[in-house]
Amino acid sequence: MVVELGTALAAIGAGVAVGFAGLGSGLGQGIAAAGSVGAVAEDNDMFARGIIFSALPETQAIYGFLIAILLLVFSGLLQKENLLTVTQGLVAIGAGAAIGFAGLGSGMGQGITAASSVGAVVEDEDMFARGIIFSALPETQAIYGFLIAILLMVFGGILG
Amino acid sequence: MAESITAIVTALGFPSVEAFIAVLLLGGAIIGAIVVIATIRPLLDLFPYAYPNARVRARVGRLFSEKQLSEILESDNLDEVQNYLRGFPEYAQYVDKYPLEKALDTQLADTYDLVARIAPGDIKGVFRALLKKWDIRNIKSVITAKEVGLNSEKTMELLIPFGDLKNDLGQLSEVNSVTDIITALEGTDYAKILEDALPAYQNTQMVLPLEAALDKYYLENLLRASANPADDNGSLVHTYVGSQVDITNLKIILRAKVDGLKYDDISPYMISNGYQIRDWKLKDLMEAEDVSAVVSAMEGTDYAPILSEALNGYNKTGSAASFEKDLDIYLTKMARNFAVKKPFGAGPMIGFLNRKENEIRNLKVIARGKREVNFPAARIKEMLV
Repeated sequence: MVVELGTALAAIGAGVAVGFAGLGSGLGQGIAAAGSVGAVAEDNDMFARGIIFSALPETQAIYGFLIAILLLVFSGLLQKENLLTVTQGLVAIGAGAAIGFAGLGSGMGQGITAASSVGAVVEDEDMFARGIIFSALPETQAIYGFLIAILLMVFGGILG
Repeated sequence: MAESITAIVTALGFPSVEAFIAVLLLGGAIIGAIVVIATIRPLLDLFPYAYPNARVRARVGRLFSEKQLSEILESDNLDEVQNYLRGFPEYAQYVDKYPLEKALDTQLADTYDLVARIAPGDIKGVFRALLKKWDIRNIKSVITAKEVGLNSEKTMELLIPFGDLKNDLGQLSEVNSVTDIITALEGTDYAKILEDALPAYQNTQMVLPLEAALDKYYLENLLRASANPADDNGSLVHTYVGSQVDITNLKIILRAKVDGLKYDDISPYMISNGYQIRDWKLKDLMEAEDVSAVVSAMEGTDYAPILSEALNGYNKTGSAASFEKDLDIYLTKMARNFAVKKPFGAGPMIGFLNRKENEIRNLKVIARGKREVNFPAARIKEMLV
């Protein structure tokens, strides 16, 4: 079966969503994990808290992955039916870009904050709760991107 | 809708909607690539510092608080100080092995060694150069030991098992004279440094020229290692090293002026290329008539307010110690500021080493005070940094 242009565009949107969000998440998680390894090397008790801080930047990749799956399912690429029009395909790219780029920035920002928080907690245990709050702040950008991606899909006629 | 899109695309001069989309995607890909590169580059500079800074901050958290230092200060004698330190694994491993002062120096050397091992590649050279401090300390100890006629066993007790010469300490402790030390150090920079200072030592029969030459080499080597910084972190390290050189020069000049020494007496000990005090300024300072003239000549530099304030203390006591203490505090504040200003760079490492250095200095002051019978704790407290 030949894939329609609209559905092919949605596939690009899915790639952008998971690719860029995963890139930001990976970089963020890398820097947070590097900090956590340093903390654990000095203090074994930091393992659990290091894992928590390192896991925080994972969410951006999950959002991107979710949007990508939705795009693949509702673009008809998986079932080979209900294929999208070109206009819907462009909307799908917009949805992918929304979560992709928002996830990229959010993931990197969260990674830096999480690495810094790990340093603060290993220096002073009482900083844990405050570190978590500061590390959670850059999550909001990814949530905005995720919401806009969903709205685009709903009102662009891809979902539902 | 589809017709209107086709009309817009045709009006823009594209032969088909597909061609328009292809151009759109290409544009999007280029913009995407620019965004990714622009955002990732700064992050890649932070990556190498995440691991070492977490380790360093863990150790900052283990530095003694003021309350703990007060508890040590309240110890009745040296044994109590040692017992207190045994409660901390970092100190316990050396306190059980060596006399207290050597244990403290060894712990500090261990800390420098750790930071040099974990420092990122760009600034590793400077932290490796800092390790030469322990080579120089060991060489000075051997020179002093041989001057007072200590045997190899007693000499070995003075040496710190860190630095590039770590594996040569046994051989070094067995020498009998300064010329033997030079022979034992053959193949290292230190042999040349000592050889050059040997005539002055032979003329004066004092170890000061040898020690001054080694100290000068240490700071000049540090300046060389930090010169040509590749990025902001390198510049930060260079600023710190340059300030250390400035402060060392200032201390020497101020002490010399307290003792009434002139330009020719001071100039062999000066180190060029500090951070704020350039060579022409150094010359002015060395030629200054007295301490007040040195303070006046520093106008326009960051050191001026510190020296002006310390001048009152000097006028009361006639000692350069007030200048020295205030300059050390200035360097400590600078190192702490770096840790705050550059938390993802070299700042925390510089800040930590400076604070560790102060901690060991304070512990040594307490140890010396406790060695004296009935030496009041309040008097020791005044001497702490």
